[in-house]
Amino acid sequence: MTTFYRRLPKFDYLAPATLDEAFSLLSEYKGRVKVIAGGTDLVPKLKRREMGAPEYVIDLKGLPGLDEIKQAAGGLTIGALVTIGAVESSAIIGEKFAILAQAAQSMASPQIRNRGTIAGNICNAVPSADSAPPLLTLGARLKIASGKGERTANIEDFFTGPNQTALGDDEILQEIQIPDMPPKSKGIYLKLTPRRAMDLAIVGVAVLVTPEDGVCKDIRIALGAVAPTPIRAKKAEALLKGQKLDGALIEKAARTAAGQSKPIDDHRASAEYRRDMVEVLVRRAIKQAIGSRS
Amino acid sequence: MAEFSVIGQRVPRVDAKEKVTGQAKYAADYSLTDMLWCKLVRSPYPHARIVNIDTSQAKKLPGVKGIITGKDFGGWTWGWMPKTRDEPPLAVDKVCYMAESVAGVAAVDEDTAEEAAELIKVDYEELPGVFDPEEAMKDGAPQVHDYVKNNISVQYHWDFGDVDRAFAESYLVREDRFRTARATHGYLEPPAILAYYDPTGYITVWASKQSPYFHYRHLAACFKVPLSRVRVIQPFIGGGFGGTKNDSLAGDFCAVLLSKITGRPVKYVESMEEELVTSRRRHSFVIYSRMGVSKDGLLKAIQHRVIADGGGYTAIGPLSMYLGGFMTTLPYHLPNFKYDVYRVFTNNPIGAAMRGHGVTHTRFAAEIQMEMLAEELGIDPVEIRMRNAIDQPKPGEIYETINKVTLKTCGLKQAIKEAAQDPLWRDRDKMPKKGGNISWGVGLSGTSYSGGARQMGHQACAAIIRLCEDGTVNLITGATDCGQGSDTVLCMIAAEELGIKLEDVAIKRVDSAYTPVDPGSYGSRVTILAGQATQKAARQVKKQLLEVAAQNWQAKAEDVEIRLSEVYLKSDPSKKMPFSKLARIACYSGTGAVIIGTGYSSYGLEPLDINNGIGNGGTSYSFTAQTARVGVDTETGQITTTDFTIASDCGRLLSPIQAESQIEGAAVQGLGQTLYEDFIMDRGRTINPTFLGYKMPHALDVPSIKLIDIVTDDPDGPFGAKEASEGSIVSAPPAVVSAIHDATGIWFKELPVTPEKVIKALKERT
Amino acid sequence: MRELNLTVNNQSYRLSVPPWRTLLEVIREDLGLTGTKEGCGLGECGACTVLMDGRAVNSCLVLATEADGREITTIEGLAQGDKLHPIQQAFLDHGGLQCGFCTPGMIMSAKALLDKNPTPTEEEIKQGIAGNLCRCTGYTKIIESIKAAAKNMEAK
Repeated sequence: MTTFYRRLPKFDYLAPATLDEAFSLLSEYKGRVKVIAGGTDLVPKLKRREMGAPEYVIDLKGLPGLDEIKQAAGGLTIGALVTIGAVESSAIIGEKFAILAQAAQSMASPQIRNRGTIAGNICNAVPSADSAPPLLTLGARLKIASGKGERTANIEDFFTGPNQTALGDDEILQEIQIPDMPPKSKGIYLKLTPRRAMDLAIVGVAVLVTPEDGVCKDIRIALGAVAPTPIRAKKAEALLKGQKLDGALIEKAARTAAGQSKPIDDHRASAEYRRDMVEVLVRRAIKQAIGSRS
Repeated sequence: MAEFSVIGQRVPRVDAKEKVTGQAKYAADYSLTDMLWCKLVRSPYPHARIVNIDTSQAKKLPGVKGIITGKDFGGWTWGWMPKTRDEPPLAVDKVCYMAESVAGVAAVDEDTAEEAAELIKVDYEELPGVFDPEEAMKDGAPQVHDYVKNNISVQYHWDFGDVDRAFAESYLVREDRFRTARATHGYLEPPAILAYYDPTGYITVWASKQSPYFHYRHLAACFKVPLSRVRVIQPFIGGGFGGTKNDSLAGDFCAVLLSKITGRPVKYVESMEEELVTSRRRHSFVIYSRMGVSKDGLLKAIQHRVIADGGGYTAIGPLSMYLGGFMTTLPYHLPNFKYDVYRVFTNNPIGAAMRGHGVTHTRFAAEIQMEMLAEELGIDPVEIRMRNAIDQPKPGEIYETINKVTLKTCGLKQAIKEAAQDPLWRDRDKMPKKGGNISWGVGLSGTSYSGGARQMGHQACAAIIRLCEDGTVNLITGATDCGQGSDTVLCMIAAEELGIKLEDVAIKRVDSAYTPVDPGSYGSRVTILAGQATQKAARQVKKQLLEVAAQNWQAKAEDVEIRLSEVYLKSDPSKKMPFSKLARIACYSGTGAVIIGTGYSSYGLEPLDINNGIGNGGTSYSFTAQTARVGVDTETGQITTTDFTIASDCGRLLSPIQAESQIEGAAVQGLGQTLYEDFIMDRGRTINPTFLGYKMPHALDVPSIKLIDIVTDDPDGPFGAKEASEGSIVSAPPAVVSAIHDATGIWFKELPVTPEKVIKALKERT
Repeated sequence: MRELNLTVNNQSYRLSVPPWRTLLEVIREDLGLTGTKEGCGLGECGACTVLMDGRAVNSCLVLATEADGREITTIEGLAQGDKLHPIQQAFLDHGGLQCGFCTPGMIMSAKALLDKNPTPTEEEIKQGIAGNLCRCTGYTKIIESIKAAAKNMEAK
């Protein structure tokens, strides 16, 4: 860049009061519009001119009914406007989906968590997004809405590339739906960072284990920051499903998970280090998950 | 009765209230009506010729009031020495580092200024760049500046004793290559200036400068205005740490010139990213270190060949290279020393000063190398230091190194002893060495740093004390508090000397229209030198007042005492009065008297021998022994620092709360530059120019810090003071690296020691 | 232009600002409350921390228009006339500051922490200020100050 900016670029601001209004604005200004919820990803990007300035910024915060964590039949829904801080301190999430609370706690800073949303974290879709691996292990589904109606997508199909999602230009992520975990399930999210605050994950690992009669009935392993998108390490999962989880098997699964990752070299870390750390973190996460009773 | 009534008290800072209430104004907090905003256009190339600058589109933008380019400064350049004036306010023919400024624009608001900056079209012819200083020295490398050969900006070659013979006679010799991080100051306040060029030819600026008088000289020279008509007003400063805020910047000159052109005040505030990309950083040093010891671990010789990345211009580089060598003969007896240093131009950002200037790099190398030798010889780390450490000179005696650095006090052995007796070191074998995946280690260092530094040119400073008729006092000095707390210390010194309460001394920020000239804040000089000037000024006022009191009581002046704002006769304490009454008597005598005292610093008058490294670079030297405990996760390489114990000989701590906070802060800066901080460069481009990427420690990253105060009462500092805190930025890196070695068996010679480097080294070992 | 009603430090303001103005800019430039600082402008340093409806936020990342109808507390809103807030007093007494640039944001984060958790452990204090960088103090005396403030506030 040839000049350093302190100010945001100019844009018009719209605050729809209903979802229908929002949809019609998204349609009308297609290609010239960005939505804002917490603003903690959008505002820095705009300030650094990392994206072309939109003509319109549409504030979702005026839309009703999107800011709640609700218990629903068979699970939980997290509205699009629910902040990371609200997830971090939610009693019900702490009790039933601790892995997501762990991820929320690890993100950025208290100030950012008071504004940023989980939905925003997913839609921004950096490969290291901390909420993604836990949501992948939880089998979350995403309720997406537009002027044309609603659809539900699996989170696995949502991430399509670095900073890219399956969300259409005219669509809004309305809520995240998390099905209840089978009883006795235990989830762990581990995040590797150089410092103890603020850092993006160099590697993020989420493991969700469902034990039954001394055997691993189900296990889900998700990896962040080691592929173009957050991914499930299914080959590693397959090794462990239905098996007794002893040290050697866990090591093998961890190695397999590492083999499934596709990290790159960047200024934060080399691909080799990231791959090695996937193995370490997967092993640790599995051991931690089975080590403590849920 | 305590020895001192104010000195040594745990008092809050004199400016704490303004700061905790948000009333303290920093440069960017100032506004003037009619003010314009300045924005700079910067080069996207690290090395390029400027072919053409087209400002026509920008000029048309409504609200744009002035646009300038390099030519508008008439060929003026500035630099630290007359022969190194290589830096123009705006690049004229070519740019030498990425984001060097090429144009400036002033507009009615910052939005418009930013828009205008985008419209200024600059045509460049990209030139081959050079980014590694060792490569840049080779024949055939692209030349950054034509006035030197092989891109060598500065070089010194010092030879004391006979290192070759000493190495030949050594029982053990090691040769190692060390590298220090690309680090920066990391203050939270981006540089800013509000400038007004009055049509009568008077320049006024509010600027975040920790050396306001360097800036006033630069402005006077650049704009050909007499010094008496340059007014630099120092706002509160949000951190300095030596370097960028000691110098002038493109934005400063542009703001002033644009104010001259437009007739309106002009404000310029850097963005933090702008600061991180373009600021003058700590030089990164490559140190080829050779060290020879006897069988008993006694140092016989050190040879340092240092190659420093100077970046695109010289700036204060010569001093940095001098400081990297002159104190290598401290804190241990060293009979032979050879120093060959090369500061090399590259197309990277400018290398300049930062806290612990120069010494931090080479002392890191020397400490680690000495530990490596101790390990080979089987000598305990405390023992090898005690064998080599300089002793505290006896009263009246002076210790002199082979390059004639002199000491009157040296508390190093005491500091090492106390650090060794502290449980962190003493009980280290009782603590677990392993806990799960964590390997624990404890390390030790013994280091030194200079205080009362002087540079070249004008180095004197002064203080004026003005007695108000009600017995309160104004302290007027050009000494700059950039956040380190010197205002508080100077007020305490004034209060102590006068015998009054601290709250009766008022000090304001530097204003070059009123305060006497001063070199500013760097090299831990303010307490010592401005402190001495303050003492003398206070004594002059006190002398006048003692005479008045003596006359009042028909006694002798020597019999009068003033303490904590009470005046009394030593021989008859029933004869007493409050200080305020004495002041009134003195000021209202006759038709009134104006009671003023002036003082000048007189320590350290020998000129700096920058070319030969002979003699002192400061008035006195602090000594620090530090221990550190770290836990290394041997599977991930992450390092947790749990404890520091820092034993500092700072002569005497005059303002303990401030000194402690500084020692703690410096140690954490040192920790940052050991484990986390490094600018990642790609052919001149900074890849991580944000606080997310340039990783300074957060509260969760810092250890528990325990401080031990070693008092040596140095005769060359007010009330025995020496410098405080630059010592701990020097002591922290080797202590931490030593602890990492204790935990892993690996010596890390390249900073920062990142988790990935740890894993790589552990892998290579197996 | 956006027409805003802001309540800052219990005072109401009616403002007309462009939509791209941040809350930080409006506080500093339109309201003249320069106690809140701009450090990095990207939400990475915490110097701009204010309380919005009681929660600590980076005001550099909040559009002024998003603060319409909200209650904002800045550093200038803590003291009661001449009487410092216990957190301010503690920072002053225990030397929790040097250059003072991070101080307003740090104090606001400390307030948000202590309002929610009046008896924090040392770890909780560090977590509470995890989003506030300080380059001068090494955090040691900041943590001591917050501990002292917590104690003093509990005592009341």
